[in-house]
Order: sequence, then C-alpha cells, then structure tokens
Amino acid sequence: MKNTLAVAAACSLIAGVASAQDETLTISVYAFGVDAMSEAIFTPFEEVCGCEVVIETGNSVERMAKIEVNAADPLIDVAVMSTQDALQLAEQGLLQPLDVSRISSYDDLYPSAQDPIGNHHALGYGFYATSIVYRSDLVEIDSWNDLFSDELRGRVALPNITGTQGPLTLYMLERARGGDDLGFEATIDAIGAHGDDFVTFYSRSSELAQLMMQEEVIAAPAGRFAWSRFAGAELPFAWAEPEEGQAGGMNVITMTAGNGNEDLAYQFIDYWLSTEVQTRVAEAGLDSPANMRVDLAPEVAEPLTYGADLINSLNMIAPADIIANRDAWLERWNENVLN
Amino acid sequence: MALALPAAVFTALLFLLPVIILLSEAFAVDGEWSLQGYVDFATTPLNQTVFLRTLKLGFLVAFTSAIIGYACAFCIVNLEGKSRGRIFGLVVLPLMISPVARTYAWIVILGRTGIVNDTIVGLGLSDTPIRILFTETAVFIGLLQLFLPLMIISLVSSMENLPRDVISAARVLGANWVQVFTKVILPLTKDGLVMGGTLVFTGSLTAYITPAILGGSRVLMLETLLYQRVNVANDFVSAGVIATILIVMCFAANLLLKRIAKARS
Amino acid sequence: MQYKWTSRLIIGLTLTFLIGPFLIIVLAGLSAGEFMTFPPEGISLKWYLKVFTVDSFRASFALSMFLAVFGTIAALLLGVPAAYAISRYDIPFGETIKTIVAAPIIVPGIIVGLALLRYLVVPLNFTVTLALFLAHTALVLPYAVRVVSASLNNLRSDMEEAAVLLGCTRLGAFTRVVLPNIQGGVLAAFILGFVTSFNQVPVSLFLSGPGVRTLPIDMLSYMEITYDPSVAALSALLAFLSVIIVFVAEKFLGFSRYV
Repeated sequence: MKNTLAVAAACSLIAGVASAQDETLTISVYAFGVDAMSEAIFTPFEEVCGCEVVIETGNSVERMAKIEVNAADPLIDVAVMSTQDALQLAEQGLLQPLDVSRISSYDDLYPSAQDPIGNHHALGYGFYATSIVYRSDLVEIDSWNDLFSDELRGRVALPNITGTQGPLTLYMLERARGGDDLGFEATIDAIGAHGDDFVTFYSRSSELAQLMMQEEVIAAPAGRFAWSRFAGAELPFAWAEPEEGQAGGMNVITMTAGNGNEDLAYQFIDYWLSTEVQTRVAEAGLDSPANMRVDLAPEVAEPLTYGADLINSLNMIAPADIIANRDAWLERWNENVLN
Repeated sequence: MALALPAAVFTALLFLLPVIILLSEAFAVDGEWSLQGYVDFATTPLNQTVFLRTLKLGFLVAFTSAIIGYACAFCIVNLEGKSRGRIFGLVVLPLMISPVARTYAWIVILGRTGIVNDTIVGLGLSDTPIRILFTETAVFIGLLQLFLPLMIISLVSSMENLPRDVISAARVLGANWVQVFTKVILPLTKDGLVMGGTLVFTGSLTAYITPAILGGSRVLMLETLLYQRVNVANDFVSAGVIATILIVMCFAANLLLKRIAKARS
Repeated sequence: MQYKWTSRLIIGLTLTFLIGPFLIIVLAGLSAGEFMTFPPEGISLKWYLKVFTVDSFRASFALSMFLAVFGTIAALLLGVPAAYAISRYDIPFGETIKTIVAAPIIVPGIIVGLALLRYLVVPLNFTVTLALFLAHTALVLPYAVRVVSASLNNLRSDMEEAAVLLGCTRLGAFTRVVLPNIQGGVLAAFILGFVTSFNQVPVSLFLSGPGVRTLPIDMLSYMEITYDPSVAALSALLAFLSVIIVFVAEKFLGFSRYV
C-alpha cells in the first residue's frame, strides 16, 4: 500500500512536472464548427487535464503543410484529418503509431475505425456520408447520373478535385456510368465535355451553401457534415439517396511523431473517443460517432451518419488508392476540365 | 549614402533575397540546374490557358479603365473647386476599403437573384437570368472596380496640369472631339496614362482575392494557379516559374509603357 | 448645359460602380437572415454585434493594427532618412538604391509571403509575426520614400543651408527645419502605409501560424466556415474606420495631394 502510494505520488510528481512543462496541448482541427467543438470537447477537456488546449485551424492543405514544415520540432501534438492525409503524413514518418492499449474505448470503435490506415497510425473518430443536396421543389435526384441531366444544366456545382469530396463524387459518377476504373478517366472526360454546364467546382461547403441559398445552384454533391447548413433553411432542400448508394469517408485522429507531449495527447485522444464525449459531440450535431456504444435518439441521429447499417453501406475509397491516383486525377482534371 | 543605406539593405536582405532564392528554385529540378521547370510549365495546356487569360484580363481591365478613366477624369477636372474635391474623395474612398469586402459584395450582386440579373430580366434583355459568377466577366468586373480608382487618380493629376484653354482653342480652330482627344489631351496626359496603366495592369495580374472568389477554380489566373500549385501539389518549381513570369510581366509592362510615352513625345 | 448633364451622368455612373458594392455590403450586414442577401431579409443589428463576439476577429484585428502601426513606423524610420538622402544629395548608386527600395511594389505579394515563409520562417526560426512585420515594413517602405520625397522636393533646400550657416548642426537643421516642414508628408505617408498594410492580403496568405493571422486572412478563413453576414458587417465597420481616418486626414492635411 505504502509502495503504491509512493509510486502514485512519484507519478503525480512526474505528471505534475510534465504538465507544468507541457501544460498546453496543440490540436489541429477542421475550421468548421470550431466554436461548438470547443464547447463539446476542448473546453471540458481543459478541466479534465488541467491544461490549456490551443486550437489550430485552417484548410487541410495548410494544416498538413504546417505539420511537415515543423517536423523537427512539432508545433502540433494532435491533428484530425482525412484518412488519405493521415496516410500521406504517416508515410513521411510524421505520425507516430498509437499504443491502442492506452485508448480505453478502442474496442468500442467500429472495426473500420480501429486501424483505418495501418500500423495504428490513426483512429477513426467520425464517419460521414457523401450524397447530393438538392432543391426538392425544383428537381428530383435518384441517381448520380442526374447531375448530368438537361433540366439541371447550368445549375449544378461539383466539389473540386483537390478536396475530399471531389474524388468521392468521381467515384460514384464512375460507378453510375458502369465503370470501376480508379483512374476515373472516362468520368473526368465526361465532366470536361459538360464543363460549362457546371456553375463552379467548389472548395468549401460554406461557399456551396451561399450559392444554394441564392439559388445559383440547385443540386450538388456534399458531405453529410455540411447538411446542417441546409436542414434549417427556408428553401426546401433534400438529401438524395441515389440508386447507386452514397459515398462516404471517415475522419481520423492522429498524433505527430516526437512531439514530446504524448501523455497529454493520449489522454486527449482517449477522451475524444470515449462514449461520453462521442455522444455529446453527436448530440450537438458536430460529428457522427465512430464509437459503437453511442446510443442516439432517432431525431438526434437523423442529420448524422449513424448506425452500423448505414456506415457499412457507404462506398469508401481506400486511402492508399486515393494517394496512388490523385496526381493523375489532378492532371487529367486540369487538362480536360479546367482548360 | 549612409542615410539611404539602411532602407536599401533592409529591403535587399529581408525582402529581395528570399524572393530571389524562390525564383531560383524554378531552375533547380531534382537538385540540378535546368530549364526543365520552364519547359514543363510552358508545355502544359492549362498553364498556357491561364497565362493568356491573365494577360488578356490585365489588358482588358487596363484598357477599359483608361476609357472610363479619361471620361471621368475629364468631368472631374472641369468641376468647380469644392464639388471637385468631394467627388475626388469619393473616387479615392474605395481604395481605403478592404479588397475582401469589395470582392465579397459582387457574389451577391452578380448572382442569379442579384440586382444585375434582376435588371437584365426586368428590361427583357434575357428571358432567364444569365450566369455571371465564376466566369471571366465576373473577374473582369471585380478587377475593374478594384483598380479603376488608380487610373482616375493618375489621370486627374496629369489633367490638372493641362492648360485650361488648350481644348477650347483646339475647338475654335476646328478640331472635332476625336482630334482634340488624340492630338491634344492624350499627348499632354500620357504620363498619367502610363502611371495609371502600369498600376492597373500590374494590379490585375497580381490580384489574388478577386479571381479566387469570383472566378473560383473554373477561372484560374496566374496568382490563383500559383496558390493552387503550392498548396495542393507542393510544387515549388511551378511556383517559382509563375513568380518569375509575374515579375517579368510587371516589369515589362512598366518599361513598355514608359517607352511608348517617350516615343510619342 | 448638355455637357453638364453628360458630365454628371458619367460621374454618377462611375461612382455607382465604385461605391455601390460597398453600400450593398453595409446593407447586407444588416440582414436578419443567415446568409448574404440583397435586399436584406429584414433588418437587424445582430451581425454587426456578432463581429465583436468572434474571438479570432479580435486577435487578428489586434495583429493587423500592430502590423499597420509599427510596420509603418519602422518603414518611416528607414524611409525618411533614405528619402532625405536621395532628394538632397547626389549619392553614389542613388538609382540602384531607389530601385531596390521600390521593388516591393512590383513583386507580387503572394511570392513575398511564400519566400519569407520558406527562407526566413522555416530555416531561420523567425516567428510568423516577425516575418509579417518585416514583410509589411518592406511593403510600406516604397510609399514612405515616395511620399516623403515628394514633400521634400517641395521644400527649398536653402532653408536648411541657412540654418546650418546660422550655426545649426546638420541633424539640428533636419529636426528643427526640415522635419516640421515635411510633417504633413510624413503623416500622409503614415496613413497611406497604414491603409496599405491593413488591407494587405497576398503577402499574408502564406504567413499564418497558430493563432497568428491578419484580419483580412482571418475574414477569408471565416468565409471558409460560413458566409453569414458578419463578414459583410465587419467589412462595413472597417470601411467606416478607414473612411473616418482618411476624412480626418483630408480635413487637416489635404491628404489627397500626396496620394
């Protein structure tokens, strides 16, 4: 008993020293909904850990660049991102493999979230579906092919190839055309042939929302995480359930290599993935849970990507496939669509 | 010399040196000196399109602002002292407003449900709203609004030096308005035109926000292409090439206009 | 008579084109709806009030203010002596020095930002704030030199000569005779520099770090989150601030003479 106490005291001393040195945890997160995220996760965590959480936001490319640039002396301790961004950073040796025994709710995660990019370099914390948002009073969308229909000509926006939603859209369009080529060549060429029929290739869901509110655009593929922008609007928006199914993706949480702040980082990751926090985040409508034990009321679940059936039905592209093909996509896109 | 040195050293060391290193990166492909970066850049069709578009928009914006600028500056110079100062102040005013704000407004104005389309449909010029956002027209309008004040200011200050009676003298001597403009006003205000033209042209080439917001990825210009190459593809060779092209274009425009101004006189 | 009406029409149309969008921004910020619309959906001050509650706006406003004020002061400290040397003495390499100092005007801002990020911030561990400060100083410097030179050229140099003959040191002549006479020019340069720096976008595009972002960049990243009318409201407020500064300057200094 005495020993245990002594060890505990020593530990708390060490922990105390550690937290005095590293009393801040720097987290790089998506910019969307950061205030609400602070309320649901970051601020309550500050109380749990007695530390200060510094939030770094920006678009994914900027955030990744910041991790690359500061590899020798990481500014960022924990970062959330897409699976392909995480895989790319992991391949550059910028992420550290997670010791999942330190994540108490690891076994509660959906199997696909437990090791999405290999080597436990990342854990999934939220899923999203990708489908088509459209004006239900003006059009009916039953298939991804409807984006090319005559009645929608000049009123459709597509997500830009450089974002996460772009490849998912191409993936579904490729399938709708009956192909399964991950090079998306025919699909990109088809978009190029209809180039002027698309209003724009948007980069941000905020931009899409503005364009749909001012009736510039009446249908566009988007991630479910953006649905809250449309659900409350006066105009009648609907979420398509195309016959080819919905695409989808997962966002993951990662830890930078050699950040020297591992204890706090593990504590934070464990906190975020816990049933309690995942439920709170879901109930605030911020992210769809990756923790299977999260139990949501139907009205809470409605705007989210929730439940094993839906999550298992999502058409996802393997992160390695995205990395292997994206340069070719971009080149073909630049050549045949933007040119 | 000693007094001017700190400023020159400061700019050279902390500003020009990093820029020059960046430009030199375009010559270093895989660690070796080569022109391959330029060759690759020039042979990519999209880059050619973007280059020509940037040049075209820069020229169109400069040309249009010169036309509007002359008309407007002529009217301003002929106003009475007090209202002249006021109007001039209103022309300068937009320069003080953040370009983010000025560009942002056009999203609403040029949209399908915006005032421009309301007017077009209302006047029966078109049955359905026309698409302006994310076209070259939108970028053109945005840039023109951004840089027109610079042209007007330059022309007003050079017209102020115009002797008041030369125009009426030319009229009395039987010159029509076209002749008055080409034979009298233009030669006497060419310094202002060169100054304004350089500012508007180089401004349009290097604007970022306007093409980014009003053109999007559909209407890339060199500046937005540079941002895309760096941020999406980590492609510093292309960035260096684009940077060099932009700087050369700006310098060339400046020199060319100066030369034209000298040749005319 | 006909000329008068044509003239009014031309000026009216041009001003509508130049100022109309700004008025629309002001009104769009008053909208009660969740999105940018014109005409606004109902009238409310909520977006104007919201501007003050966004933390990042406060931080980035403070940074932009800091850069605009101290960057311009630094530029003047470097620029006034340079302008004096260039306009008073026939110094060696005068043209070269002029060209170097004027270069920041012609180098596209985005390249400057990228270059400073890659070669000062990353390898030399300059903080982003320091890099921003240096970039903004260099950017304002050409304006400072140009405006101050212009007002020095209007000042007859025999006044200083007289002061020196009457026993003043060179420095004394400068501070007692020259400086009071070019005060207006220096202040005009300050205001021009301030506005240039404050509204600067491309240079700052690549220069941002954790919590370090200039206001225009922060507005752009805010628009990545939402297009709600608060950006319109903020733009309008900033514009009013600029207008007040310029109006005051014009009233007391005849600022537009120097622009």
